[in-house]
Amino acid sequence: MVSKDDFVRINDYVWELPQAFDGRMRVPARIYGNEEVFEMAFRDQSVEQLMNVAMLPGIVKYAMAMPDVHQGYGFPIGGVAAFRYDEGIISPGGVGYDINCGVRMLASSMDYASIEPYLKDITTAIFRTCPSGVGGKGAVQVSDKELDAVLEQGAEWAIAKGYGTRDDLQRTESYGRIAGANAGAVDARAKERGRPQLGSLGAGNHFLEIDVVDEIYDPAIAEAFGLMRDCVVVQIHCGSRGLGHEVCGQYLHVLQDAPRKYGINIPDRELVAAPVDSREGRDYLAAMTAAANYAFANRQILAHFVRRAFEQVLAGKVRDWHLHQVYDVAHNIAKIEEHQVGTQRLKVVVHRKGATRAFPPRHPDLPGVYRETGQPVLVPGSMGTASYVLVGTESAMENTFGSTCHGAGRMMSRNAALKQMRGEQVRAELSQQGIVVRTDSVKGLAEEAPYAYKDVSIVVDSVVGAGIARQVARVRPLAVIKG
Amino acid sequence: MGHWQEIEHTADLALHVWATDLADLFATAAQGMFAFIIGDETVAHTHTLTIKLEALDVETLLVDWLNELLYQTEVAGLAFTSITFECLTPTHLVAEVHGGPISRYSRYVKAATFHNLAIIQTPEGYETEIVFDT
Repeated sequence: MVSKDDFVRINDYVWELPQAFDGRMRVPARIYGNEEVFEMAFRDQSVEQLMNVAMLPGIVKYAMAMPDVHQGYGFPIGGVAAFRYDEGIISPGGVGYDINCGVRMLASSMDYASIEPYLKDITTAIFRTCPSGVGGKGAVQVSDKELDAVLEQGAEWAIAKGYGTRDDLQRTESYGRIAGANAGAVDARAKERGRPQLGSLGAGNHFLEIDVVDEIYDPAIAEAFGLMRDCVVVQIHCGSRGLGHEVCGQYLHVLQDAPRKYGINIPDRELVAAPVDSREGRDYLAAMTAAANYAFANRQILAHFVRRAFEQVLAGKVRDWHLHQVYDVAHNIAKIEEHQVGTQRLKVVVHRKGATRAFPPRHPDLPGVYRETGQPVLVPGSMGTASYVLVGTESAMENTFGSTCHGAGRMMSRNAALKQMRGEQVRAELSQQGIVVRTDSVKGLAEEAPYAYKDVSIVVDSVVGAGIARQVARVRPLAVIKG
Repeated sequence: MGHWQEIEHTADLALHVWATDLADLFATAAQGMFAFIIGDETVAHTHTLTIKLEALDVETLLVDWLNELLYQTEVAGLAFTSITFECLTPTHLVAEVHGGPISRYSRYVKAATFHNLAIIQTPEGYETEIVFDT
């Protein structure tokens, strides 16, 4: 049984379990976080799951957990691992069911005071036009042929249909369209599940939030991101809906025989894996990428309907209701990237499961608008608490394959959260703080209550302390639409 | 008769299932899963489906079974609360399931996972733990 005494303190924010601790581990495991965060990782199965990741073939440097780590299935949530393209694996368990669950942030030049009288109306308008909850149909209905185009073109498809501007693509990870997607690798059932849901938020921890910028830490970068103190922003948190879930399930099957076929020892069946450059590995990558593109399109469409809701309510009342995009990041994904490992430039597949890409200034994959600042990193807090905008760093590139945290990270089960407070009480508490709430699931409010999560500021302090992101701005919620 | 209990899981949902035989295990696991989804609500038995599945082993068959039911829940909005197995072996099943439209969802379940999944034979029958992505 692993304990914190088995770890070596590398510095105040990095803790390492040596490879020698378990003969099956191929690399050491590292946890990022201050001492408090590090100790929290031992409350559940996070560390055991991280050790499992360290056992997978072709893993490079370390199996890493970001400070928002908690127990998942397969990889821990907050897990980051890179595998060599030439002799490593790709695993659906390293991405999860909600492929490209992520966050998009839109910002405005409206200060809170100017929209305060209309906040409830805007929230209601968004709640009406952006479908949320279980089983909800999406805002956009597409044919089978159009769905294939969505899968291969991602947010570009949505822009071509009028759901946004090309500038939005500049401000989306991978420009909203990851190359290599193949709609033919996605089975009919996944498409059947995903086709009616395009343009919907979903349920669980997904949300749409109106916030106000209440702190600027780096004025120059905040300005480049279009963030101004006291101004209103919007966050959209959702993913690839039933399509992504089905793709993950489909490929857990397709890859089922791969460990035997390719001689891969897996410590957990959810970590079923195939060599990246095998037929099974390539097919999964093509299908997972297609699901990721669907998620980019989904958030693009939702952004369009959020903008329309702002326009409907504010036109003629406020001078400039325009919402420009800050960025859109993936939280659950595997991507082929090049990284410097020692003296070698390596092609790897970086799995980020509940983690965010955090590329530094001058990285060639960044668009011109962010080439000098580094990539915006969006870190939503728990419902009713602050969220942060960070920026990627060179240190993240050197140490964590250009990755950082993705949120607050749960620390309490849903049942335990329900025992603390009823949904109506949570709604009342949020109202007392002046936060408008719209949801079809009052019970969900209790399950997602702030006390079920770590304090996001501890997580952010940890990534900043570790140097794998820098603070740019903080926002606090004004209105929450919970799926 | 089988029974189930929810196990604490930080982020997702998990079930421990005890059953007298395999059919009981599969039916009880489905019962537990639908208890997550519809809570205390009941559904009318207006729909009947026949589900046929083949799998490499019994754990895969269990995951496939639960995910097949979740698929029907998502595309048709149905919950199934009465299950009869016409045939159930460790690699094959034919089931008739009865249920109806869900009027109010309690929780959203994305998928049944393979995480640490093992079906264990005990002197009393079978036991397993299933983690669901939510």
